[in-house]
Amino acid sequence: MSATAIPIGESPTRRAVKRFLRHRLAVFGLIIVVAFILVAIFAPLIAPYDPLQTSWTRIRRPPSWAHWMGTDENGRDVLSRVIWGARASMMAGVVSVLGAMILGVPLGLLAGLAGGWVDAVISRIADAMLSVPFLILAIALAAFLGPALENAMLAIAITASPVFARLSRGMALEAKSTDWVEAARALGNPAWRIAFVHVLPNIIPPLLVQATLAIAEAIIAEAALSFLGLGMQPPNPSWGSMLNSSQRFLTQAPWLSIFPGVTIMVVVLAFNLMGDGLRDALDPRAEKT
Amino acid sequence: MTQPLLQLNDLAKRFPVRDALGRKAGAVHAVDGVSLSVAEGETLAIVGESGCGKSTLGRLMLNLITPDAGTVRFAGDDLTKLSSSALRARRRDMQLIFQDPFASLDPRMTVEQAVAEPLRLHRIVPRSEERARVADLLSRVGLRPELARRWPHEFSGGQRQRIAIARALASQPKLIVGDEPVSALDVSVQAQVVNLLSDLIRDLGLTFVMISHDLGVVRHIADRVAVMYLGRIVELGPADQVLSAPKHPYTRALLAAVPGHGTKAPPIEGDVPSPISPPPGCRFHTRCQHAEALCRVTTPELTAAPHAVACHLDGRLPPPAPRPDRLAGGERLRRLQSFFRAPGPQPGVPQ
Repeated sequence: MSATAIPIGESPTRRAVKRFLRHRLAVFGLIIVVAFILVAIFAPLIAPYDPLQTSWTRIRRPPSWAHWMGTDENGRDVLSRVIWGARASMMAGVVSVLGAMILGVPLGLLAGLAGGWVDAVISRIADAMLSVPFLILAIALAAFLGPALENAMLAIAITASPVFARLSRGMALEAKSTDWVEAARALGNPAWRIAFVHVLPNIIPPLLVQATLAIAEAIIAEAALSFLGLGMQPPNPSWGSMLNSSQRFLTQAPWLSIFPGVTIMVVVLAFNLMGDGLRDALDPRAEKT
Repeated sequence: MTQPLLQLNDLAKRFPVRDALGRKAGAVHAVDGVSLSVAEGETLAIVGESGCGKSTLGRLMLNLITPDAGTVRFAGDDLTKLSSSALRARRRDMQLIFQDPFASLDPRMTVEQAVAEPLRLHRIVPRSEERARVADLLSRVGLRPELARRWPHEFSGGQRQRIAIARALASQPKLIVGDEPVSALDVSVQAQVVNLLSDLIRDLGLTFVMISHDLGVVRHIADRVAVMYLGRIVELGPADQVLSAPKHPYTRALLAAVPGHGTKAPPIEGDVPSPISPPPGCRFHTRCQHAEALCRVTTPELTAAPHAVACHLDGRLPPPAPRPDRLAGGERLRRLQSFFRAPGPQPGVPQ
């Protein structure tokens, strides 16, 4: 590179994007995720039928050219319901994980940077919540809050937050011992500015990886809650509730279970592939060179 | 005499040591009873072996860690008594340069953001003039202002240290503490950065506290020198006197240990005793070839300024072995520096 032309520097973010794009499976996962997000957003335009439109003349029809995924026990088009169900699942996945981060990350930063009894209290609460299996806690919370999609999302957000609190506490502890945090203090930064302007941007990479993996988990959790009747309420479509109503017809009309089930699997797999790629791309060991 | 800019009084800092069960098992006496004053405009060097507490002392000076005892007066205020917001505001006047330039810059901030941060925190210039001021600061430390929008990982160690210096200068501080600011750099780059620092000290009239173990650098830059051993100051005086006519046996041993020294002085025996249980009396007596019975019992106090020493044998010590009048490295360092001293800002070399 010649000394005369000085381009704007390459940010750490751009370097990570470049590394991510070299990761084929991760890009494949990203494409599927983006596709499902678009499907969720444009569901009313894409869905061939009204997902709530029942018809006594075409009950439990197998897949055909008119109904690609067949029809269910009330004669509703399964494809349209899967497409509309993407809304509930994506919303539940993204919104509940965002909620978990908004709840967990500041608490984790506070615990890590403040230390002392603040850290002890926050860490013990997080440990206690983590000692209960994720789904059990989510089910208990959702049952307590009452059956509705919003409550299911809230339950998932609360249940997933200790993971983020613990992760950001660990990263904050690590950052606290670095020279650049001490430098920030020596410059006269107030504590909140050290936490949010200096430490937070530096711990975004592991949080992002955790978030993609947590979205996959949250989608499964939403499906599970809906399956148990604690999430999306019928007749509104959600992948979990579709699985629930189809189990009675598993032998006579397997397409009712297969399509929502495969869809859940594909989306969760895509998120996991993306998360793995992100982890490789954002690896701090690669960051240094 | 005017009031000193920085005055330390009987400062002490102990770091507790815990055993495997978390019980207090003792404490590292990092800094123990240090009194020191730094006058406005002077350059004080603090020298000593690793582990003698000089970095801790540097951080105590800026109240980045709070002392267990003693006071730190900066321009009249006791820093340990200030409220946290008053202390933050005070930080405008005192800055720190770190040893490792690869660790002291936030990896997610561009050069411009890093240098502009103190400007913003202390509202030094309005936002509209920020960019111009950053460019000004960068050229002052010998970096091209066009590099402002790059990230730290794109720079070499010497360049990063220049960025750190520009950041320290941004708030127009009265006092800068340099914690081994050049010892992590390559020798050729060291000379450049030492030159830069001494130019800045001269041009801006800075008060500078240089923590270092490199006596060549210290001789080049310091007006006064404080020698530390195991958390205490053993000798304190004008740089030329301390470095050419050392009074304390430890200072003599330090000087004799500078490589390239003409005469081979006998090295001091043994290791530094554990700072968890420092020896009674004079802390150096375990390694001192001149130690007497008194040294093992009573702690010597510093004698009066200007050339103070904490030694019972002060005045009775045999004259030091004859040694060349120059400090090894001094002349060579100067010659090396003359190669690198550039008339104006040097172009930073992009990688």
